Amino acid sequence: MSDYVLELKGITKIFPGVKALNNVQFQLKKGEVHALMGENGAGKSTFIKVITGVHKAEEGEMFLDGRKIDFKGPRDAQAAGIAAVYQHPTSYPDLSVAENIFMGHEIIKNGMIQWKKMNEEAAALLDQLNADFKSTDEMGALSVAQQQMVEIAKALSTNARIIILDEPTAALTKNESEELYRIVDKLRDDGVSIIFISHRFEDMYRLATRVTVFRDSQYIGTYDVDGITNADLIKAMVGREIKDLFPKPEVKIGAEVLKVEGLSRMGYYKNVSFSVHAGEIIGLTGLVGAGRTEVVESVCGITKPDEGKVYLEGKPIQIKQPSDAMKQGIILLPEDRQKEGLIMSWGLGRNVVLPTMGKYAKNGFNDEKKEREISKQLLEDVDTKAVTIFDPASSLSGGNQQKVAVAKALGQEMKVVIMDEPTKGVDVGAKAEIYQIMGDLAKKGYAIILISSEMPEILGMSDRIIVMCNGRVTGELSRGEATQEGILELAMEKSK
Amino acid sequence: MAGKSGRTITNVPEKSLKKTLFCWEGMLVVLFILINIFCAGISQSYQFSNVLREMPKYLTEMFLLFPMAFILVLGEIDISVGATVCLSATMTCMASNKGLPFGMVILVALLVGTVCGLVNGLILTNFQELPPMIVTLGTQIVFRGIAEIALGSGGSISLTNADGFRMIAGKVGIIPYIFFVVIIMAVLFSVVLAKTTFGRSVYAIGSNRLAAYYSGIHVQTIRLIIYTVMGFMAGLAALFLTSVLYGANTTTGNGFEMDAIAMAVFGGISTSGGKGRLLGGIISGFTIICLRIGLGQINMNPQLILIILGILLILAVLLPNISAKLNVKKKA
Amino acid sequence: MKENKSVLKKITDSREASLLIVLIVLCIVISLRSPSFMTLKSISDMLKNNAVIMIMTLGMLGVLLIGGIDISIASTLAFSGMSVGMLMKYGMVQNTFVLFLIAIGIGALCGLLIGLIISRGKVLPIIATMGFMYIYRGLAYIIANSQWASAENLGTFKDFALGSVLGVNNVIIVMVICYIIFFIVMKWTKIGRMVYAVGSNREAAQISGINTANVELLVYTVMGTLSGLCGALAVSIYSSAQPNMLYGREMDVIAACVIGGVSMTGGRGSVAGALLGSLILAIIAKALPLVGIEAIAQNTVKGVIILVVIVLNVITQRMMDKNNLKGREM
Repeated sequence: MSDYVLELKGITKIFPGVKALNNVQFQLKKGEVHALMGENGAGKSTFIKVITGVHKAEEGEMFLDGRKIDFKGPRDAQAAGIAAVYQHPTSYPDLSVAENIFMGHEIIKNGMIQWKKMNEEAAALLDQLNADFKSTDEMGALSVAQQQMVEIAKALSTNARIIILDEPTAALTKNESEELYRIVDKLRDDGVSIIFISHRFEDMYRLATRVTVFRDSQYIGTYDVDGITNADLIKAMVGREIKDLFPKPEVKIGAEVLKVEGLSRMGYYKNVSFSVHAGEIIGLTGLVGAGRTEVVESVCGITKPDEGKVYLEGKPIQIKQPSDAMKQGIILLPEDRQKEGLIMSWGLGRNVVLPTMGKYAKNGFNDEKKEREISKQLLEDVDTKAVTIFDPASSLSGGNQQKVAVAKALGQEMKVVIMDEPTKGVDVGAKAEIYQIMGDLAKKGYAIILISSEMPEILGMSDRIIVMCNGRVTGELSRGEATQEGILELAMEKSK
Repeated sequence: MAGKSGRTITNVPEKSLKKTLFCWEGMLVVLFILINIFCAGISQSYQFSNVLREMPKYLTEMFLLFPMAFILVLGEIDISVGATVCLSATMTCMASNKGLPFGMVILVALLVGTVCGLVNGLILTNFQELPPMIVTLGTQIVFRGIAEIALGSGGSISLTNADGFRMIAGKVGIIPYIFFVVIIMAVLFSVVLAKTTFGRSVYAIGSNRLAAYYSGIHVQTIRLIIYTVMGFMAGLAALFLTSVLYGANTTTGNGFEMDAIAMAVFGGISTSGGKGRLLGGIISGFTIICLRIGLGQINMNPQLILIILGILLILAVLLPNISAKLNVKKKA
Repeated sequence: MKENKSVLKKITDSREASLLIVLIVLCIVISLRSPSFMTLKSISDMLKNNAVIMIMTLGMLGVLLIGGIDISIASTLAFSGMSVGMLMKYGMVQNTFVLFLIAIGIGALCGLLIGLIISRGKVLPIIATMGFMYIYRGLAYIIANSQWASAENLGTFKDFALGSVLGVNNVIIVMVICYIIFFIVMKWTKIGRMVYAVGSNREAAQISGINTANVELLVYTVMGTLSGLCGALAVSIYSSAQPNMLYGREMDVIAACVIGGVSMTGGRGSVAGALLGSLILAIIAKALPLVGIEAIAQNTVKGVIILVVIVLNVITQRMMDKNNLKGREM
């Protein structure tokens, strides 16, 4: 029992109307790196919040080094040596790195903050992590990866013995991920016990010794990473076997639909050219920050390029604002469905007809009856799990929300469909359905651009793969010749 | 491309009589009736014909409620409207005193207001990083400042010839013209907000500006239009106000933005944007006007009336927030 | 990332340093036009006459830092000043020290109420303080009851603004003390840093255990307290108490903060900036008549200054962002 530095038994957490955790258990060995996996909505985030004292479980017990503990709030957990590093850094952009690290436990003498000492100690922590910035730098000026490093430094500054990492590699480039792996190794060597949540199997294989799977708010099992396979894991996470995750149909590729020539926007991308044909799925990939979303947003009128031309079906077109692109049939499913894709407080029906309400309106007046018919049809076409079209978008799971976004796109006149990370944060079941829809769209003759950072997805669905690095197109590979290594090389092109 | 599981979704909205009667607007109507009973109780002269006669002065503020509702639904705010009314009224009096034909005077009033609204709109749409509160705080000072300069050391101006104004202050029977203009505007603005794609776009922007932009909505154009219309309506309000006050001074329009916001918020429009209907604002507007007339008739200290209005404004925002907190506690 | 920034660039990066330069330039230019400007007496008078605005700017700094705003400060000032004036007029209280305490107390209560409505009631600061602007001003009028307290009524109280310690006017001493206290608290105490934290990222502050509602309550209470203090000061300085005291002058305080580089959205700003901003504003007000702009245009000028400064802030930020983009090698 005392082999475990942290143990939870029978944890149940209830929110109004929803059982977020149902009789869950978990054991963390001292000095181990333990992965926590499961579909979205499985309960992982809630579980972490129980461990860090943000939520209090209705039932169950928690033991630290064998002693029963009862956290009344996040400060208790912090005092007990438990720290969490979240996906979106919760930091103070206007304050310095040192101040961010020591916020809440500043170095104080006689009621006054000791700035010199704090800056020095912060610098020492940053050295441990091999950081390339100073403790006096302004937090807001740092990159996402650097900010995450500050979060880890913050955890270290509280002498945390248990550190929880929530999707640590989600926003990192390959190099930065390697750096993170190194930091995790060092922490483990120093005797820190680590739990991390990740959707990426590579993270798990590289870092963890054991993995625990949650599904539908329940504990499924804990497995040794050594013996497990992807298929086993997926089965545990989904509860059924997913055969043939990528149903890419054989489609006859038609004429060129979209051509982008010499597109440049200072600081974002330079001299980007490619073309997409009818029925073709182009996989646009690269590391985070390569500029893929930025290029596509310029094509769709959300931002304006400094130079370059766009051709639709051979004719040059001017796109100055999003509605121009939509009128031409260039439809975008944005990367962030909660902030850019859907209005969370609105009902599904209203969301789906938002771009096309002008089409159904009579003299500017909304035709609500027609809108209800159309939205019902569209939502059913993509098999959305919802009861009525008036359900607020916020009540749906990630996968279903993405389906609503797809329905919204389907309701418009399409020639080119651009999907930006369509399966990010989507559970395996809904992923398969979205790939199915993508294949169907290709069959119908639309030109499709798929932006993704997930190698299996790109390799599985694309006819051609375009790789970007640091704002430039570094290479183009056909379906037959593409390999993970080949793509990675192009994505990390060492040009300096 | 039918869904694989054959699952269906209902698209028939729930309608219930109970919901219609007990909604917020229903309660506002009850409040309206209660306030009128209260006023009749405290003031002998609170009769229909008297109230109608005193209404025009307060009705001018209703013009500001309609575009303010749009701005609040956008999730923004405009605190320069009172100053716009002041500047427009000042210019209108000056134009009239200079002997311009009344048609031109009307044009001056509306133009000054529209230009002020346009200034707000242009600054806000070209510098989207700036919060509307700060920008309209700045323009409020400038607009009223310009009026101060125009009014000179006396600080006020009186109409030398009120002929044209007397005309617009006329009546049909016992009902003043302004009443009809207010009703027409009320219907116009309500219908646009609730039933048109323009109105729906305003709700979208107020709920999630980024998503609205990605969905093809012309966010900046809509904002520019709304602020300009706000200015126009301020000019219209100034025109009718001058027909009642026969002049203008540096304090004209004081508190108008507070009243407009109070009416809108009391009527159910949320200051965080994306929610609410204009109908409630119209009902609470008339309620507040009746209350002011009643209190004015018993010669209540005007400062005390301002205090009451200030309290009403705060309560209007406070009460929904508190009831929301209590609801959450009930559900948990 | 270029390590060697030129000295000039380092100075212009710091808002406070740029302001200091502007202040020095203004002083030089004005004393060229009007040599009597830089005399000790002239400066002392200017500080005394602007002390009220300068002290309230400190309170507004705190409010703006957490992303709020308070346009009721002039009304709070009038309410507490009027109360103190009436107490003296009717002979109920004569002791200067006690009167100051009462004024401060009234201001604190006014600010506390506003803070509760905003922090607990979740009312938008602009709306809450708009309402209280009328409520407190109305209360000032009601207490005055169509009268006012003139110099004869004020007895020894009015001497406070005339007296001095070690040659420095009392009012200026009060102001200096306020600035010193604020400077220490905002830079070296946990509470001060919490204000910055809440303004920089409220959610993060909330999650890390900071009671953001209480921090919010605190800044509005402090604002009210300073307004109350200034109410008493104003009565002493002007030797009278009237319900329309400092009507509309809240805009001066906001303008001072805007000029001083305090961000309207929270998280950025300093006591030094507040000081420099309010000094520059005071000097501009003095300089306007010298360039032929009469007093009646002062408000318009202040409004234009506010608009110009905030627009310039946006433009410089955009230029900086553009430069950062240029630095990204493609």
